[in-house]
Amino acid sequence: MHIFFLSIIIIVTGGVLAPFLNRHFILMKSVCVLSIAFGCLLGLYYAGLQLTLPVSDRASFDYLHHFTITFQIDALSAFFLVLIFGISLLAAIYSFHYMHQAEKPLATAVNYLFFSLLVASMALVVAAANIITFMFSWEIMSLSSFFLVIHNYQKEENRKAGYLYFVFSHVGAMFILTAFGIMYWYTGSFDFGETAALTNTAKIIVFVFAFIGFGSKAGVFPFHVWLPHAHPAAPSHISAVMSGIMIKTGIYGILRIYTLLNFHTPVFGEIVLIAGMVSGILGIVYALGQHDLKRLLAYSSVENIGIILIGIGIGMIGVSSGKPMMAAFGFTGGMLHMLNHAIFKSLLFMGAGMVHHRTGSLAIDALGGLLKKMKMTGGTFLIGSLAISGLPPFNGFVSEFLIYLGCFEGTGLDRMAFMSILLAIVSLAVIGGLALACFTKVFGVVFQGEARSSAAENVDEKGLTMLIPMLALAGICILIGVFPRAFVLMAIHGVSGIGTGFEPALLEPFIRLTGNITMASAIFFAIILVALAARVCLYSGKTITRSGTWGCGFTQPTVKMQYTGTSYAASILAFFSTAAPLREDHSGVEGCFPGRSGYRSKVHDVAELYMNAVIVHPVLALFAKLRWIQHGDIHLYIGYILLAIIVLLFFI
Amino acid sequence: MNETDMIVSVILWLLAILLAPFFAAVILKVKAFFGGKKGPPLLIHYYTLIKLFQKGSVYSTSTTFMFKLGPVVSLCTAAMALMFLPVAGYRPVLSFNGDVIFILYLLGLGRFFTIAAAMDTASPFEGMGAAREAYFSIICEATLFMILILFFKLTGDLSLAAYLSGSGTLGLWQTAGSPLLFVVIAFFIVLLSENSRVPVDDPATHLELTMIHEVMVLDHSGPDFGFIELGAFCKLFFYSAIVSRLIAPFNPGHPVLNGCLFIAVLLSVYAAVGVTESVMARYKMDKVPKFILISFVLAFFATIITLEFLR
Repeated sequence: MHIFFLSIIIIVTGGVLAPFLNRHFILMKSVCVLSIAFGCLLGLYYAGLQLTLPVSDRASFDYLHHFTITFQIDALSAFFLVLIFGISLLAAIYSFHYMHQAEKPLATAVNYLFFSLLVASMALVVAAANIITFMFSWEIMSLSSFFLVIHNYQKEENRKAGYLYFVFSHVGAMFILTAFGIMYWYTGSFDFGETAALTNTAKIIVFVFAFIGFGSKAGVFPFHVWLPHAHPAAPSHISAVMSGIMIKTGIYGILRIYTLLNFHTPVFGEIVLIAGMVSGILGIVYALGQHDLKRLLAYSSVENIGIILIGIGIGMIGVSSGKPMMAAFGFTGGMLHMLNHAIFKSLLFMGAGMVHHRTGSLAIDALGGLLKKMKMTGGTFLIGSLAISGLPPFNGFVSEFLIYLGCFEGTGLDRMAFMSILLAIVSLAVIGGLALACFTKVFGVVFQGEARSSAAENVDEKGLTMLIPMLALAGICILIGVFPRAFVLMAIHGVSGIGTGFEPALLEPFIRLTGNITMASAIFFAIILVALAARVCLYSGKTITRSGTWGCGFTQPTVKMQYTGTSYAASILAFFSTAAPLREDHSGVEGCFPGRSGYRSKVHDVAELYMNAVIVHPVLALFAKLRWIQHGDIHLYIGYILLAIIVLLFFI
Repeated sequence: MNETDMIVSVILWLLAILLAPFFAAVILKVKAFFGGKKGPPLLIHYYTLIKLFQKGSVYSTSTTFMFKLGPVVSLCTAAMALMFLPVAGYRPVLSFNGDVIFILYLLGLGRFFTIAAAMDTASPFEGMGAAREAYFSIICEATLFMILILFFKLTGDLSLAAYLSGSGTLGLWQTAGSPLLFVVIAFFIVLLSENSRVPVDDPATHLELTMIHEVMVLDHSGPDFGFIELGAFCKLFFYSAIVSRLIAPFNPGHPVLNGCLFIAVLLSVYAAVGVTESVMARYKMDKVPKFILISFVLAFFATIITLEFLR
């Protein structure tokens, strides 16, 4: 445990030093990056060690006599710590060249301060072992990430995004607090672990409240509304951390509550599974409709959270219906997908950051042809896109494969469970297809073809510390895809921290399966090599000509004629138009010699649309009527407090 | 699996790749017959491939390495899919629990690279084709996974070898019976759309605006184009072989008889594709998704009905 606290202290020290060093920009960045990176390395070492140990590490401090601050690190926490420290390490390295605005030293320093607090608080959240410690760390995490979101507070939309995030994270925290409150009501203890006193109904209520609260952090539909606003507003390495790992703390919360309640009802599994399917499909449909690269990636996080929830839901149903293999495949697949998503999503956000850095634009339809000049960014972005589409031989495939196997194990169940599992398999297939469409759109429009605007012309790639994390992450994508065994075993270790009520998972099927994937990938690479060799032979001594693209008879093409991302996605979006209503503004073409014309389209998010109409407007109207309570008179405010205390006395 | 078995499997795999262009020519012959023409020779695709392999290439100045990688990957994924296929009911080269999912995603990888190669050219036509390819394959995948659920319910296995080799297929019919007819039709629809045949796509049309697959490979030439063609033949062979094993799950016993029966049924599947192309016109683009959705509905019905049989 000492190593853990030491790493946290090192990380926070770096951040705290930042504001004092802001006169020396490079020194400040070096100190922060080095201390955060070193702290993360130390934490990574500790988490890796703890993951394989069967006993959990525990430390307790008394605080103000009444509250005990307790930390405990079991296999589940250790698995999340690996994610948190691993991705934060790379994000910290990336930030060195990314935070380049030397004219704003103080803003950069504040950014590093809150970045270090975010990393530390995320680690504390997964290590917390009682309600007080958990909520305390959770709030620090929410607040520090809020300040990171409003890093560019000069822009109004960023302030709005920050406000939205603030509201969502605190309403979510209220739900979590309610869930904990109900637990406390029954057990009378702040400690995690004594829930036997809860009745079954209470357990279901606690789970539902916790699911809504944690779901709003994780970005489960329909509580994901803040995600597509906050991620584009934050700097890219922060988006990578928030999307790659911070939203996973929501999943951690769901798993922790599930473990604590130790109540195996099919209801939990069904709730999680259905939420997963809806988030998965709608997330990727909305992603397909976006015009901003980082917004698109944010929606794709909603989709991946959906896939993770499908895996976890399958695991829970497996537990409640007594199918150990289904539970093992589901939970392991979900856990591994968490790791995988952390890897490729942070890779993609870093790639988007590089694009923004070099072109100054994130509008998909304004870019194009970047692959020619930005080979490393383009290449790693390609690997990230292939991995997130779940294609072999990349890491996304392995976790989706495990989830599929878990689903198929469950097809032997009775009607209700069978129907939901059938839907889960079909939704996974549809999600896979849509993800492929979405990421061919991104890669095809942003990195391929010709530059659509002057911003995308004459770009280059600079910033060694930005490229190294991207290359490392892309390498890990392939590594897990080809040699998944060690990582699957790591996920199994993590799953052992979830009380499934079964014997430790049977390892034999996993060993066989990962061996098969390695073998098939090796054969695939061999075939590719043979085909490439054949290609070289066939082309030796041939004449290769370069010329323009065939315009089907048209000889004066311009870059504006290229297919845009909007048109690429149009037909698929039309298919889903009930769930993703499209608003189009077209000024029309008039006369024989038409002048300038414009077209604008936006895909509406039904959650945002209805939440506005059903919740936000009525609540605002109600508060407008209660405005007289807020009169600004300090005496009466003190009166309110006294009144509240007197009323409370009656209840004690 | 002992060594001789393995060698036979590998030989069958190579034969499948080598013979795929021949079978595809049957479609042309059938179409020619309906058109009252003599039609090209049955070896036409080999002539075309040899001609293409002897040429050089013209590359668009807009393209990158993705354009050259696309044909290689699409050929390799199709060829690798054939490794899992039990040719004539014989054991395939590779087989493991869950290989069907691996194959479907592998074909997805091929699709990703074909689309990426098309987007590389900056041509609006190719972008249009790519968008359609991405769209229609989503529904096809849903159908295929629906069929997979049914097959898993029937056999408890997730590998092509379990469904299609030895007496596995016969087992499918004995437990499911008539609902499997739905599956055959659904699979045939998927075959038509995944391989860009009429009524989903017309490989012989002259207008780029109405194409799907052909327009995506407009800019490819020479050996690259040869790779794409060969990959497409392999993919068609893969789907047709599955359909033919589903239609005729019998094993007469002797390997030669098995082979003959397999080839005869396979020829009839290709002929059926040819007949479909001859008697139907291509659907309007907005009708295509509905057409493919029919396959999903059929597979769904088959599963639900079979559940009753299993009880």
